[in-house]
Formats: sequence, C-alpha cells, structure tokens
Amino acid sequence: MIKTQIILAGIGGQGILFASRIFSELGLKLGLNVLGSETHGMSQRGGSVLAHLKLGDFHSPLIRTGAADILYSFAEEETYQSLKFLKNGGVCFVNLKDSKRFDPAILSYLKGKDIVFRAFDAGEAASQIGFVRSANIVLIGYSVGSGLVPYKCDDIKSVLESVSQPENLEMNLKAFEIGLRQGSNE
Amino acid sequence: MRNEEVRVLLGNVAIARGIIESGCHVVTSYPGTPSSEIIPAVVMFKKELGLNTYIEWSTNEKVAFDNALAASLTGKRAAVAMKQVGLNVASDSLMSSAYTGVVGGLVIISCDDPGPHSSQTEQDSRFHAMFAKIPVFDPSTPQEAKEMVKEAFELSEEFQIPVLLRPTIRVSHGKQSVRLVAPAILDRAANFVKDPARWAATPRFRLILHTKLNETLSKIQEKFEKDTKWNFEIESPRGTSLGIITCSASFVAILDLLEEFGLNEGISILKIGTPYPLPQKKIAEYVKRHYKVLVIEEPDSVIEAQIIDKSKVLGRLSGHIPYQGELSPEVLYEILVKVLGELGIAKLKMISDSKLEKLVENLDLPIRRPTLCAGCPERAAFFSIRKAFPKGIYPSDIGCYTLGLNLGAVDTVLDMGAGITFASGFYQAYHLDDIDIPIIATMGDSTFYHSGTASLLNAVYNNARFILVILDNEITAMTGMQPTPGIGITADGSEGKSIPLEELVRGCGVNWMRTIDPYDVKNLISLLKEAREYTQKEDGGIAVIIARHPCLIRYPDVCQEKPVKVEITEECNGCMYCIDFFECPALQPDKEADLVRIDRTLCTDCGVCVNVCPREAIVPADT
Repeated sequence: MIKTQIILAGIGGQGILFASRIFSELGLKLGLNVLGSETHGMSQRGGSVLAHLKLGDFHSPLIRTGAADILYSFAEEETYQSLKFLKNGGVCFVNLKDSKRFDPAILSYLKGKDIVFRAFDAGEAASQIGFVRSANIVLIGYSVGSGLVPYKCDDIKSVLESVSQPENLEMNLKAFEIGLRQGSNE
Repeated sequence: MRNEEVRVLLGNVAIARGIIESGCHVVTSYPGTPSSEIIPAVVMFKKELGLNTYIEWSTNEKVAFDNALAASLTGKRAAVAMKQVGLNVASDSLMSSAYTGVVGGLVIISCDDPGPHSSQTEQDSRFHAMFAKIPVFDPSTPQEAKEMVKEAFELSEEFQIPVLLRPTIRVSHGKQSVRLVAPAILDRAANFVKDPARWAATPRFRLILHTKLNETLSKIQEKFEKDTKWNFEIESPRGTSLGIITCSASFVAILDLLEEFGLNEGISILKIGTPYPLPQKKIAEYVKRHYKVLVIEEPDSVIEAQIIDKSKVLGRLSGHIPYQGELSPEVLYEILVKVLGELGIAKLKMISDSKLEKLVENLDLPIRRPTLCAGCPERAAFFSIRKAFPKGIYPSDIGCYTLGLNLGAVDTVLDMGAGITFASGFYQAYHLDDIDIPIIATMGDSTFYHSGTASLLNAVYNNARFILVILDNEITAMTGMQPTPGIGITADGSEGKSIPLEELVRGCGVNWMRTIDPYDVKNLISLLKEAREYTQKEDGGIAVIIARHPCLIRYPDVCQEKPVKVEITEECNGCMYCIDFFECPALQPDKEADLVRIDRTLCTDCGVCVNVCPREAIVPADT
C-alpha cells in the first residue's frame, strides 16, 4: 500500500479518537510507520476535534493544508472547516443528514480540484442498528465499500476485532458491514 | 512481553514507557493538558508488567515535585510530570533543587502548549529550566521522547542534578509506532544519607552549591558538545547557503516539508535535542560553515537567544518567525517561502487557498466553541448564580467550569486558585469605597484541593465577604477524569483516605456553609440569596455553598437518579432565552420553525431546563 495521509474531523464525543485508533492499528498491522496527532482536553467538551494520521514514511505527525489524501468528517460544519486539508484529487466522506443541503458553491469548487465528495447519513444508519455511537465505523465501512480508499475490508475487520471493547465488537462489525454495503451500492 | 515489540503510542504514553523502562520507582503528577495521559499510562505499564512502582496524583504540582525529589534523595529514581504552567506552581522547589541536586535520577516532564490549545500562556519550559539552571532534553517524536527519558535519568544520576524533558503538545499528543523494550529493574533500598550542608543549606552554603552547580553545567555542556545522538547534523549534498537549526516538533515538520518540495539537497539541518546547556561550539562551527542560518523553535527563542554571534542568524529577532502561535506546517512553509525567496534559493508558491477560505467564510458558520455537556451540573449552578445576582462579579477558575464563560457567569480566569483570591481582592477594593456588591466565586473540587485552601484561609483571616460556590462533581473532569482527595481513590485505583470538602472549608474558619444538589435550581437560587444576606450581616462573613452532583461522564449510572423527560410546548415563541442563557447542547434552535427543539440523542433527562424558560414552555413530559 502506498503512503496515505488521513484527516478525521468532528466534534467531541463522536468517536474521532477511536476512528484514529482503527487506522493506526491498521498501519501497524500492514507494517507501515504510523504517525498522528490528536485533540485532547478542553475541545473534547463539545468543541471541534481533529485527528491527523499518516501511514508510511513521514517524519511529522501533522498533515499540512492541501496534502491529505482522505478526509473523514463526522459533522457537517466541521467538514467545511477541514476541506482545506485535502489535496487535489483527494477524497472525502461526510456524515451528512441531507446531502442536498451541502453548499453547492463548495461542491463545485471541490469538483474543480478533482476532489471526490461522498456524503452519507451514517448517523441514521448507526441508530437503525441501535448503536448511535457507531456512526464513525459506519462511515469507515462506507469508504471501504466505495473502493475509493486503499484499505482492504478484511484488514479493517480484523483491526476492529482487536481494538473493540468485547461488548461492542458485534455492533461495531455490524456497523462496518452496513456502511460497506451502502458504499458498494452507490 | 517479547524482547522487542512495536506499538502505536501517544507521546505521553511513550514517555510513561520511558519512565518504566528506566526502572523508575516513584512517579508523581498533577493533571493538566497536555500532560495528563502520562500517569494513567505508567499505571497501565506497572500493572501489565507487575512492577513495584509508587504512583501518585498529587494535590498540586509543587506537592508532586517535592514528593518525587524526596524519593530521589533516598537514592531511588523519580519522575514528576505536569503541564508547563504547572511548573510555575512547582517553581520554588525547582529553583532550589537545582542547587541541592539529587541522588537517584530525577526527571521533570513539563509539557508545553504552543498554540495555545489548552493553556493560559504559551510559555517555554526550556526557559524555565535555563532560569533554574538545569539541563533540558527536547524531543521531536514519541519514540525520541521515550529514549530521552532514559538518557535524562542517566544524566541526572551522573551529575546529581534534576533534568527536564520538554515535550510540546505535538509530541505529547502525537502518535507513533514506538519500539518497546523490557524495563530495567533497579533494586535500590531507600537510604537517605544526612548531609545538612546540602539538604538544609543556609545562604552561606548556597553560594558553594551555586558554584558547584555552575561547574556541573559546564561539564554537561562539554558532554553535549560531543554528543551526536540528540544533537546532529543532516548534511546537504550541495550548497552551504542556508542551514536550519531546529528542534522539537518543528524539526520533523521541516523534514517533511523539505522532502515534499525537493529542497533537502540544498539545505542542511542541525537538530538540537539539548537546548540547555547549549552546545555552543557545535553551533558556532555550524553557523560558520553557512551563509545564513535560520533558527526554528517554539514557542520561544531559547536557542536563538543563546547564540553568541547572531550576524548570520535569521529567526524571531530578524523578523522571520512569528513571536506567538504554533509553528504549524503551514506557518513553517510560509517562513520557508519568505527566507528561500529572500536568499534567492528557491521561489515557492504559497499553498494557502484563499478561494476556499472565502467560500467557507461566506457560509457564516457558527463557531463551535467548547461547551459544558448536556446535563452538566455546573451549568445548573451557573444559571442559578446569574439568575440570583444578575449584576454580581463572578471570579472563577480553571476546569470544565471555565466554560461558564458561555453562560455569562464567569468574569475572570487567571490561574489555579485565583477564583477565591480574586473574590477577596475585589471585595477589599470595593470595600475601601464602601461599596457592597455581590461577589460570587466559583471553583471546582479538584482546583479547591489544588490551591483553594490557602486563598480561603487568607480571605477569612482578613475579613473578606463574598460567596464561594464549590462546584463539586467528584472528579477532575476537564483533564480526563482523575480522582480527587474528595473521593479518596488514588492514582492506581486503590483506596486512599477521603477528605470531604466540608471539613476543609470548616477548617479554613468558614462559619456559614451549605451543601446542595445544583439540579435543584429553585432551592439553589434561594440558598444563594440567603448566603448573600449572611455576607451582609454585621457578624457575617464568607458564605460557602458546596454544589454537589457527580459528573455525568464519569458517573453515567448514578448521575440521573430521577430522570425527568422534558418536552417543549406550544408556549415556545422562539425567544432563544434558553439557548443564550442556558446553552445546553440538547436544546437546539429549530431554524425552519423559528423555535427551540430538544435533541433526544443528547438530552440526559436532567430536567434542569424546566426552570429556565421565562414562558414556562419547557415542561416535564406527561409520560
């Protein structure tokens, strides 16, 4: 796998740090160097939370503006603020209640930069399986299903098995499957 | 554990691992972002490896420092961790300990916060170490931080001096695949050797100790001159026009930028891991070989300030590096654009995209500021305080409850403990003019244990009059749920002795004290008014209310004993009073209907908002 730079954006309580853990364990499993940076402290009380993750040969844990390959955004407003990290030709996956609501001027800007924009109501999908907190995993499943990211379904599943709390494992796998299916259908 | 294992670790966890791998016996700390994850990780490794390590959450940083130092005096290895402003609290001990020195290795970890992301200042702990005259290691990555901890213990023991490790937030909260090795087991029985000329030195002996300290620093400087592990050059194959002297998180960010833009062949780097005492000869020799040298460091200019001949040096003093804020990759890139352009080395394009910035700006998005959680008992207390005394002065303090700012119920936040000292200071200033104004100080439980008692004692002693509301959520919440002396659980989860706030408050000489659950807004408001009357009575004084309700993140099972499901009736006219004055994340403006709605995924059924709506449109649901 080539090296990738991932931004995870959202607000406190949405499981950004857990999502970041999934990718860092994935990197470790694939024998890649892992570097990243996380938000802790005051922002966790409902503020913006941003995680940077770099898999492969890098030195710094931070991703500069215009260099990220992939953006996962778990909250609409945070998407607007974190799009600047994406490089030309990057791809973003957004947890969005209503994709029609997303600003059209920004969508056309993204198109001009060959950035692929995929929106999906991962929150709703997660609440349908009765595990609202798993929206983060639904969105990751969705990205893998879309075929737009270089991660293999089985690799993520085995990471989920190793990092999930035993009581959440079944739900996490289910959430992943639901996202996966949705991603490959679109 | 296998002989060598690789794990992805948070920088602070890697530091904890370094402490454990060094065979350290005693570890102390007071929590504070970005240092709080160190102690829990030490506990984790201790349990994982079955080690005999003493670990404590101390009541404040000075207490933590002294406890670690005393352990070192018995010959054991000790580490003390804190955030950079915590080192201010421990500063008295730090300064003195540089003179007396140590026996077993003593490593001080002080985490800096350029940005600042979660601190009141951007101070540079390296300056603090320089001020105290102790050596500093400045890591760039979690892996290096772990190795430096081990080296710091060795150095500390070799020269009998406390050593400081200064990770910045990007190291502490950075993640990296880190190689773990088995811990050293150092079998050292505690053995304090009496030496009053050193441990109880009077000023005459202090001069001798200071002379010795200066000699020690010279020796350490010589050692750092020869060192190539922490201070090394990445030579450039061609060109001597520009060299970059850098350290900490800036070093790795610069490496990535130079590689990405293909500049690494034309620019050399001197990485400095020991900024004090600075290897001056190494630096002078490096500067000599280059036409210009750019010094990049954060948050302040410790290396640059020490360079003797600055004629070739570019940095803050020459106006090339900003004096405040974090040196993010974007800021560093702009610095490179400027410097490389000026020197005619390369013409780089700016990477910031003003078009996207404008588009996002046009959306006029609300700024998502941190806020108290839905159901937070502190919100209920702040609402009641403001309701009872809309024209009061509200000195407050450091913790989650600083976010009472959003509710207009926090007027001042200075540092740990100033909620009470400001209240007495305000009182005395107004009292000089015979003005009686309601002053309502707020302070969290952990902050009160940290530095509340000295301030409260002083206020009582000097006849100040105000209301103090201690927001007791039975945990240190903001920094990640560390236990307090109030609940009496120690760092590794074992039982300590619980010291109730009530006993402390009484012990400070306070005669009027009541405890109440802040969810009971109506009674809290009348209690606040009663407290105010006491502060105005002839034989009155300071009134203390302990507003006690457990943090609902830490204690989700017990925090809502009587859940109250609420609904919004047709009485709601969209005045947004509840949004502006209560700011519960579960109450959200319904933009289309121009009313307020309840977000059921966030609502915790605390029922406090029933007391908030002026039209009584928020009511308990029938069911």
